[in-house]
Amino acid sequence: MRLRRIAAFSRRALLQFRHDRRTLAFVLIMPLLMILIFGYTFGGDVKDIAIEVVDYDIGIQAGTSPVLPNGLFLAQKVIDNFDTDVFSMHTNTNSRNARQIVHEGKAWAAIIFPANFTENFLSTIKTQDMSFSPKIEIYIDASNPTIAAAVIKEATQSVQIILKELSASLNISQIEMPIAIEQVYAYGGGNTRFIDYFAPGVISFAIMMVTTMITIILFVNERRNGTLQRLLVSPASESEIVVGYALAFAVIGIIQSIVVLIAAILLFDISIVGNIFLALIVILLLAFGHQGLGILLSAGAKNELQAIQFIPLILFPSILLAGLFWPIESIPSYLQPLSYIIPLRYGIDAERSIMLRGWGIGEIWVDIIVLVLFALLTLSVSVLLLKRRN
Amino acid sequence: MKVRGIIQKQVQCPACNTILICSGNPGEIVKVTCPSCGTLGKVTFEQTFDTPTKIVEIQSVTKTFGKFTAVDTLDLTIYTGEIYGLLGPNGSGKTTAIKLLCDLLRPNEGTIKILGEPLPCKSIMNQVGYMPQDAAIYLDNTVHENLFFFGGIYGMTKENLEKKEQEMLEFVNLQDWSDSLVSTLSGGMKHRLSLACALIHEPNLVFLDEPTVGVDPELRATFWGYFESLVKKGITVIITTHYMDEADHCSRVGLLRQGRLIADGRPRDLKKSVGVDSLEEAFLLLAGQEKS
Ligand SMILES: Nc1ncnc2c1ncn2[C@@H]1O[C@H](COP(=O)(O)OP(=O)(O)OP(=O)(O)O)[C@@H](O)[C@H]1O
Ligand SMILES: [Mg+2]
Repeated sequence: MRLRRIAAFSRRALLQFRHDRRTLAFVLIMPLLMILIFGYTFGGDVKDIAIEVVDYDIGIQAGTSPVLPNGLFLAQKVIDNFDTDVFSMHTNTNSRNARQIVHEGKAWAAIIFPANFTENFLSTIKTQDMSFSPKIEIYIDASNPTIAAAVIKEATQSVQIILKELSASLNISQIEMPIAIEQVYAYGGGNTRFIDYFAPGVISFAIMMVTTMITIILFVNERRNGTLQRLLVSPASESEIVVGYALAFAVIGIIQSIVVLIAAILLFDISIVGNIFLALIVILLLAFGHQGLGILLSAGAKNELQAIQFIPLILFPSILLAGLFWPIESIPSYLQPLSYIIPLRYGIDAERSIMLRGWGIGEIWVDIIVLVLFALLTLSVSVLLLKRRN
Repeated sequence: MKVRGIIQKQVQCPACNTILICSGNPGEIVKVTCPSCGTLGKVTFEQTFDTPTKIVEIQSVTKTFGKFTAVDTLDLTIYTGEIYGLLGPNGSGKTTAIKLLCDLLRPNEGTIKILGEPLPCKSIMNQVGYMPQDAAIYLDNTVHENLFFFGGIYGMTKENLEKKEQEMLEFVNLQDWSDSLVSTLSGGMKHRLSLACALIHEPNLVFLDEPTVGVDPELRATFWGYFESLVKKGITVIITTHYMDEADHCSRVGLLRQGRLIADGRPRDLKKSVGVDSLEEAFLLLAGQEKS
């Protein structure tokens, strides 16, 4: 391998990007847009979730109970305590109708308080028998896990606050949660925001998409324009061609990651606890592997139109199965094994572990080894592919 | 084993004026290093008629695509310093033949030797220049970047490249377009740049697949002047063309028809053999004879 020849390849590819502003913009703006859109959509707390509230609670009238001389309308108290920023509430008097509205997708959840809500609460306190626990029914559209989690969180919080107030005023030491709601948090409990979880994934995903797509298109054009033939007639070896392009992609990948990281830090205040160089090494490995993949796929496309048909093929498994948006644990168990053959999975996993957990090579070596093997495999097969003659 | 040259020649080093003696074969270009100052140079041994060196040897080469035979048992030897024209109608196998010679396609049968080495052989490739039929240049780069890139993959140094770039730009008359994006050039200009990219590294053997297509008559004349000057330096040029007036410039022409070489010789001799004044008529006659 001759350095001068390799440098000639990288230089030319990078200069091409400098002239092709649109593509350059795509490379830099695509991940930025993703971060911005997802950051602002899911970054903060979720707001204005449409909710149907059904309050059947008859409560306890003043003077009917010695424990509560002033009476108590517990459901009303809980409802009053809902954060109106988070919930956009509509009061409904019919639970069936409320469920129907959720069913039709016009509201995310129906929160239904039964008639004996306050009464059961009182019985629980008196008897300490949890089987009387009052129940809140939350009929929820869980198609969006982020929103579903926000609904549960808000309802739970409101109940807890009310219970605390009551235990203080009633002089009761401890009141157990009257409803059992499982809280679903991916990582780090309630402290990790979605954006923190999402940013390392976006960086990995953007590298994967950009490198694969641009490599496919560059090589389809190399073949179609006949420039590849010229390269093959030159003294440059097939591996020099591949390494030359790899260096160009390394430069692009690093610039891209730095831009995204800076944007994520400035706009969303994400914190990176781990080693940034290790994070960049993972990025480079991802770029190399997908460059190889791109060269291989380019052999299956005769023109750019055929090349873009590969997009869904790469896009969907990565989005759905690689753990970009939701944890792999939350995809159906029969699909989970598929995620092992998606290289992006290891990239996202490694980046998250580095950035969120501050893990080092000692913990993520499996990811690194898989990515190295993936890169070696695709790059060497693509060298062989370029060597092939009819 | 390389045989030592049969001609001895006295040359003077341009840098330190040392006289040195080197040997080579007719038509060969020998790279020499001055023993006293280390300057690199090339010594050209002129082609002499009676001692030709084989630079391309094609032995009963057949190339098929599926059931279709694109090149049919082709036998052809080309000598150093020749300008060989491959002629023939569309689809007769000219491009396929050139690609076989460049090791872009592998023959189904037969052997090919280039510069004395049997193909495939990567080590001779820095002596070969290739201009594909379609302008194979990078559209999203400038003229200058293309020239530097193609020179660069032949390992040329920056100084050397700068010098050669100027020469090439003048030759293809693109001096004023050096910083233009190739995608903004006209078809003929792209073609001219493509030719320049094939020649920038000073190859000894050049394959040009229709280098003059879409080039205006004035520039075509310039091109042929340049090709002839290359040949004078001992460089071998193998060219395909459809223009019969151009074929007259060749030292030898071969006529391909349906993948077979149906005529091969000096233009003068070919015309004489069928008793006509123009190559065009000669070929029409030869093709007719072949059919019947
Ligand atoms: N890759 C290929 N696959 C199948 N057939 C091919 C391939 N390349 C060339 N051919 C066929 O081989 C024949 C010779 O093609 P070639 O390109 O060598 O012709 P040519 O003499 O260069 O023609 P032109 O003057 O049009 O450039 C044609 O019939 C062509 O269809
Ligand atoms: Mg052709």
